[in-house]
This record gives sequence, structure tokens and C-alpha cells, in this order.
Amino acid sequence: MAEGLPFAAGDALPDFELPDQNGNARRLRELVGTDATVLQTFRGWWCPKEQRFFRRLIALQDEAEVGYVRFVSLSVDPPPVSAAFRAGLGARWTFLCDPDRGVVERLGLRETTDTLNDPFVPAVFVLRPDLQVHSAYNGYWFWGRPTADELVRDLRAVTRDIRADWDAPTP
Amino acid sequence: MTERCWLALVDEPPHAAAAAAELAEPDGAPAGWLAAWMQRAKPVRSALRVDPRIVDPRGDRGWVSLVLVPPGFALPFDDLAVQQARRDVLARPPARAVSTLLRDSSHFQGAITVTDQRRDADPFARLAPRRVLRVGRGLFGRPAPPVGPTIERYGSANPWPWDRYG
Repeated sequence: MAEGLPFAAGDALPDFELPDQNGNARRLRELVGTDATVLQTFRGWWCPKEQRFFRRLIALQDEAEVGYVRFVSLSVDPPPVSAAFRAGLGARWTFLCDPDRGVVERLGLRETTDTLNDPFVPAVFVLRPDLQVHSAYNGYWFWGRPTADELVRDLRAVTRDIRADWDAPTP
Repeated sequence: MTERCWLALVDEPPHAAAAAAELAEPDGAPAGWLAAWMQRAKPVRSALRVDPRIVDPRGDRGWVSLVLVPPGFALPFDDLAVQQARRDVLARPPARAVSTLLRDSSHFQGAITVTDQRRDADPFARLAPRRVLRVGRGLFGRPAPPVGPTIERYGSANPWPWDRYG
């Protein structure tokens, strides 16, 4: 899992600040807060593989909304494009925008084979609140991306670890 | 969290409030005061719990969409219609600030949405009567929008979208 990515399980992602789909400045650490978080980097609205993978995340969103976890998607699309894409998908989470490509370079996640769009390598990181990577998936090939079951397994593991009351209190 | 944040519509500028601002109808007619308190006990009979992050004594003027469930009616916070309103808030461009309003741990008593410009759409307005009012300086800030997709409260005593336990 995660071969070819600069971050693997146990590594800590650096914090960074980017505009969201509405142009508000957001810091990754504040977005993650105190919850398990799925951070997804994607090529852009135009990629069929991303469109298909987003449908998986949209389906999972209906469970995530009651599970005290967070989703963050990150691409080089500018805010107006991200806002339109997000609305069309029906996504109810935050999209971060790196049109200047400062963060994609800083994270070492630029997809070098696409010199037209200079996008992010598609990847999924399940993060702990301290930005430590619990699991990483390299989605350059579509089958490298996590299934919904794999994400549920990862979110369960992080939640179990960070919630002191995972085991229901007993009398 | 020992202190709670309370919000109430009152006739006169309140004593001991953490922040307060004058209200006006859209045509400019006075509409009382909206005040916030940070304390454990309820400050006035009509006060409701609100997400403390929306309160900022340095906040700018704006507009509020104030949805209040009428006295005598009870709407469970977990009602499907209340859930859908929270989803709709996350799906739309964010307001300057938003919070549900709670009287207890089980019921939705209303919501307040703060914007810089008047906004007619408010998902919570499908649930209960709404007033659209001008609000003066000194009460509402500009907290970070909810990250999404969580629609649940972090503990039943905390107004959504407050986003952490404790």
C-alpha cells in the first residue's frame, strides 16, 4: 500500500493553508480538528477516474455524516471550479484549492506525467488528529484507491484509538 | 465545558452580556436587541444555547435569519427534517456564521444564520417561522465554516455545528 507516495503510515503530513472552494483560507490542522479525516488528492474535475471515485466517496458521505469523521479533497482546481464541481457532485465536505501549485510541490505530490494540467497524484490519506498518516493509498492506477470497506476499516481503527469511550461505559 | 453560550432576543441592552447588538427590521424599524452570555446558568428565560464560535464582540454588522420554534411546539433534534436542513447548510455556500439553537439536549429550538448581505434562502426556515433582521456591530464574528460532512452534534448538549467533544 502507498508505494510511490512521499508519505506512508506513521509519517506526519506538514500543515498548510489553502483557500477552500469559497475562497476562505483554511489550515489543514484546523480542518482535521479532533477527528479522523480522509484527505483525498485528485487530478481535477475533468478526470473520469476522479468522477468515478468521487461517487464512492459520495456514497460513504451518508455514513460519515453520523460518524464524527471529516473529508477534505484537494486539487489544483481554482475555487470557482471546485465550488461548481462540489455542488454538481452533491459533496458536503471541504474542497481545498492549490491553483498556484505551492502545496503540491511542497508535498511532493505532483503528477509529473501530466504536463498539461500539472495536477496532484491521486492519493488518499486517512489521518489522525495530529496529522499522522494512519494509511495511505496511491491512486495513480485506479485500483490503488481504497474501497469503501477499506476506508471504513481505517476510520474504525483511528476512531477506536482516539476515542477514550470506544468501549461503551458500563455500570 | 463548564460555561455555555446563550443567545436571547431582549427588549433592552442587557447587563452582564458577553456581547450584544441592536436589531432592526429590514425597513429599519427597531426590533430589540440580540445578546449573548457565556455562563453556566441560563441568563434569561428565553435564552437558547448557541455555538460559541459565532459570538465575537468585535464582529461587524450584518443580517440574521432567525428561526425559532414557537412556544408550545417541540421538534426533536434528530427529526429527519432537521437532519436534512443541516445537510443543506453544508451543501450550500457557507454563511458568515450559523448555529442551531437548543433549549435542552433533545429538541431543535431554532437556528441563527448570519450573513453580510441579506440572503433569502435558509434551510432551517422550512422547519419553523423565520424573521430576517438587520444586526448591528458587536455580536457576530466570522468563524470557519463547518468542514463537513458531519451533521451530528458532538454531545447532545452542544449546538451543531460545534465540532469537538468537551
